[in-house]
Amino acid sequence: MSELIVKSSPAWLKQSLRLLHHEFRRGELTIIFLAIVLAVGTVFSLTGFTEQIKQAIMSNSANTIAADRVFGANRKIPIEFLEKSEELSIKSANKILVDSMVFAGDNMLLSELDAVSDSYPLRGKFMGKVSLNQPPVSIDGIKLGTAWVEESVLARLDVEIGGIIEVGAFPLTIAGIITEIPDRSYRMFVAGPAIFLNIEDMPKTELIQPGSRVYYQYLFAGEQDDVETFESWLKPQLNDTQNWYDAKSAQSRLSNVLDRSEKFLSLASMLGIVLAAVAVAVASRRYGQRHQPMVAVFKALGASKLHVQKLYMLHWGLLSLISISVGLVMGYLLMLAGVSAIESYLSLDESQLSLTPFFTAIITGLLCAVAFAIHPITELISTKPLDVIRGFSQNVLPKFGWHQLIPLLALFALLMLFSRDFMMSLSLLLGGILVSVVLLFLGRLIMGAGRTAGSKAGKSWHLALANLKRRANENSVQLVSFTIAIQLLLLITVMKSSILEEWQSQFPENTPNHYLLNINADEVLPLKTFAEELSIDNQGFYSIFLGRLSAINNEKTINIEDEKNSDENENKSAKNESNKSELDEDNEEKPKGRKGAGRELSLTWQLNLPIENEIVEGEWWQENDNMPQVSMESGMAERLAVKLGDKLTFTIGSDEFTVPVTSIRDVNWKSRQLNFIMIFNQAAIKNIESTSISAWMVPDEKKKQVYRFLSAYPTISVMDFGSIMKQLMNMIDQVSIAIELILVLVILAGSLVLVAQVQASMEERERELAILRTLGAKGTLLRNSVLFEFIALGGIAGLMASIAMEIAVYFLQTQVFEMAASFHFSYWLVGIGAGAAFVGLMGMLSCWRLLNLSSVTLIRRTM
Amino acid sequence: MLLANDEDVVVKIKKLKNIKIKMGCLFMKSDSEIILKISALTKSVQLEDKTLELLQPIDLTVNSGETLAIVGSSGSGKTTLLSILAGLDLPTSGEVYLKNHPLHQFNEEQRSQVRANHVGFIFQQFLLINSLTALENVMLPAELANLPDAKELGLALLEQVGLAERADHYPSQLSGGEQQRVAIARAFITKPDVLFADEPTGNLDTKTGVHIEDLLFELNEKLDTTLILVTHDPKLALRCQRQVEMDCGVLQEKNANAQISNEFTADMKVG
Repeated sequence: MSELIVKSSPAWLKQSLRLLHHEFRRGELTIIFLAIVLAVGTVFSLTGFTEQIKQAIMSNSANTIAADRVFGANRKIPIEFLEKSEELSIKSANKILVDSMVFAGDNMLLSELDAVSDSYPLRGKFMGKVSLNQPPVSIDGIKLGTAWVEESVLARLDVEIGGIIEVGAFPLTIAGIITEIPDRSYRMFVAGPAIFLNIEDMPKTELIQPGSRVYYQYLFAGEQDDVETFESWLKPQLNDTQNWYDAKSAQSRLSNVLDRSEKFLSLASMLGIVLAAVAVAVASRRYGQRHQPMVAVFKALGASKLHVQKLYMLHWGLLSLISISVGLVMGYLLMLAGVSAIESYLSLDESQLSLTPFFTAIITGLLCAVAFAIHPITELISTKPLDVIRGFSQNVLPKFGWHQLIPLLALFALLMLFSRDFMMSLSLLLGGILVSVVLLFLGRLIMGAGRTAGSKAGKSWHLALANLKRRANENSVQLVSFTIAIQLLLLITVMKSSILEEWQSQFPENTPNHYLLNINADEVLPLKTFAEELSIDNQGFYSIFLGRLSAINNEKTINIEDEKNSDENENKSAKNESNKSELDEDNEEKPKGRKGAGRELSLTWQLNLPIENEIVEGEWWQENDNMPQVSMESGMAERLAVKLGDKLTFTIGSDEFTVPVTSIRDVNWKSRQLNFIMIFNQAAIKNIESTSISAWMVPDEKKKQVYRFLSAYPTISVMDFGSIMKQLMNMIDQVSIAIELILVLVILAGSLVLVAQVQASMEERERELAILRTLGAKGTLLRNSVLFEFIALGGIAGLMASIAMEIAVYFLQTQVFEMAASFHFSYWLVGIGAGAAFVGLMGMLSCWRLLNLSSVTLIRRTM
Repeated sequence: MLLANDEDVVVKIKKLKNIKIKMGCLFMKSDSEIILKISALTKSVQLEDKTLELLQPIDLTVNSGETLAIVGSSGSGKTTLLSILAGLDLPTSGEVYLKNHPLHQFNEEQRSQVRANHVGFIFQQFLLINSLTALENVMLPAELANLPDAKELGLALLEQVGLAERADHYPSQLSGGEQQRVAIARAFITKPDVLFADEPTGNLDTKTGVHIEDLLFELNEKLDTTLILVTHDPKLALRCQRQVEMDCGVLQEKNANAQISNEFTADMKVG
């Protein structure tokens, strides 16, 4: 049948299919085929894999709010909101948060009561132990009349599991201790340890009275589309006292981690695309050159340009189609392999794979096959028939001209398609162009210098370096690809470790894991003594009181418009502020009152400038300075446009007072110290009652002792967030694993580019080897010269890659990731060493077959 | 195929035969159709600030069925002339008519069409398409000229050049002589009016070269093709009815009769 079709079809079709069939069978299309397969496969696997990881991270981070979205307010949710959610089949759960004193016998403790509905949590794990020695199990709904408590409650109230605690007017039996709270990071700074009870028991406690501080949370989770529909319906209706947030909008450190990991993953994937595109460009250039004689013969025999055009369009089209299809399959398998490798770390849901990876990969394949091949193919098609007489110009350096724009635009389109980040795409592209031009120039310079050096070296090195120099044009192009490949690999490695280091530096060894709040003035001394006796690291005691900044230079700051504006500003400066300490999150970013400058601030007074604070304007006060004054944090001062000498009015309770700003401070928010935006001198707050807070680093073995001691001070709230830190560290570990896996894929892509590049120069090498053999060169000399040539090429590429990497890292760190710039000389050695070793090995492996051919065979094949 | 020890005899017989043909041609000339005519043809290239004259004004007429050798040393311009005659290149000035087609006025596409319909080629480098089998290489011009039964024609020609059993082999699996035989089969498949051969034996050893020459002239005679070949091999040139010599871009007609008789006597003496 197919024979019939071929018989009756036009000549170009027959010839095209015939060529494709034979060339595939004879392996002549392998490189270009692999290049496109690689491009498509890499993009598919990376996009798919990244998507899966993003989803997993998002769903893991959704755990931190126990839902997809949360509505929070001081009042109950409007009923129509719940009706709408039901209409959209979105699951919901309720939670009521109340701070209350809890009693057990003679002991009492200020704690946070979490009254939850049976459906809590909608996302993540709510885990607990029914006895201290048993492994944690999932808590599926809290039985009426029971409570689950955090471990510290037992020690501080001196009760056991199964014991009774009195919550308001209602006694509850302790069912077990909580080991994992899914939305813990959003309730870091509550009054005390958490006690969970069933929401239906809440009325029985009679704790909710008019005027009591109650916070209502409504948790929502469902299909992404439904949730988004719900969100876009609900958001415009929110008033100023209602909060609506998802895991990301919370701007916590966690979302910062997410942001960066997302950026990094897409950067890694983009680099994968660049590598794949380089592979296609290399292979299609080779393809064009190899087919030149064919086109010339066709034309000399009378084929019209149209005939040749049709023939090659079909040939190339089919080749692309086959390669893209195989690439999709390969990408899918790779993605599955990657996914199964991290399944145990991340809960991935394969069924959620969207069409994005398919489309991105297909578009990538098409763009690569068209944009990166259009110039070689058009040049090929316009081959002159006269070339059959004049001969063919092989290995001509690509000239610079308008046609270079097409692949560049395509590359930019690919980067944009992939990252949707204009700056990142543009900087990668421009950086890439600049680097390539510099590399071309540098490469020739170094190879020239190498030739001179080589003449003084041994015979093999001499030959190797002479070869390098002789093929300078071809080698500079190869060098650029090697360099780019090595550079990208180095870049990814360096960025990976610097991002991880930065994350981990946020959790130094002595990071406080407990905050003590509500310390009365007379309790400070015994606590200080106790901490000293047990040698517990603490950061001193800070007097603390809540207040509002009500006016700046007598201009009121509390109004809704202002708050909205300041909220936007807050989002913009989120990156700068997202590293602020947990205490600051309490002050600024607690869902209960996250609005701009008008919210309540935690205020303190200090005699001396706290550590990790630095005065940037004005002066810190003297001990005996009687003039009331305030020192302000520089970020907030900038945001509120407050200058030195401005008069700030604060409202604390019913009191109001105005003080001038006498200094502005930079605060190291990363230090996890207790940090304050406003610090007064003692004169300013003479008549204000306050309690103190302190941050302690309590080692696990001293925990029990500390809790027992603190049980004597029932009004002191102790916040243990060691487990929160564990949760964060766990997430950072997961992200690191994801990054490492993507790194492996990128290395694979890079290796294949190198192989394609070496393969592309194979014919030329074959010819040379034949000549050298004929002239009587020994096998060892040939082998060594080939090996040394590749080693030199790899070494030079490694050196240039290291320089280029350093520049790129500097730019990425300062512009994209907003980190401090750093230099990485140790990676230079890695770059040069690995470049030489890898290119040398790859080159030898690729040439091995050639080197072992007998002289006769070699000569017959090439002459 | 021919046996080695018969070779010299056969060559001589062929030469005698050629003389007869040539004599015949001389008398037939006025009646023959003019297949190729060039007048005042020049070719020059611009090299930075000076012009290099590759071909001085040339006039030449070739009749149908004639065999013409263009001889000359390397760089004399013979290949340039062949390129223009075959419509692969354009002259700087002057006229070229191939089968009455004014090639000098034709664009690339029109010249392609003329080549497809009237011209065959044999190259020094064979220029077979490596990705196609011997048979497919032979079929190529027939397909381009939309001839029916390209495959049958191809097989028949491969049979004639003695490579029927190698039809499915790729060029890389064939020896140089075999490759050139495939190229000859390819050149004749469309029964071209004019066959251009550029140093057809230049890449072959003497023995194989002679075989190829025999084959070329045999088929040429059988199919009554006009043959124009470029060579620097005087023996090969002598097998043609006419020889023209290129020397620094100037074309000179050689005295055919004198040459033939000289050569013939020389051969007889040697023999």
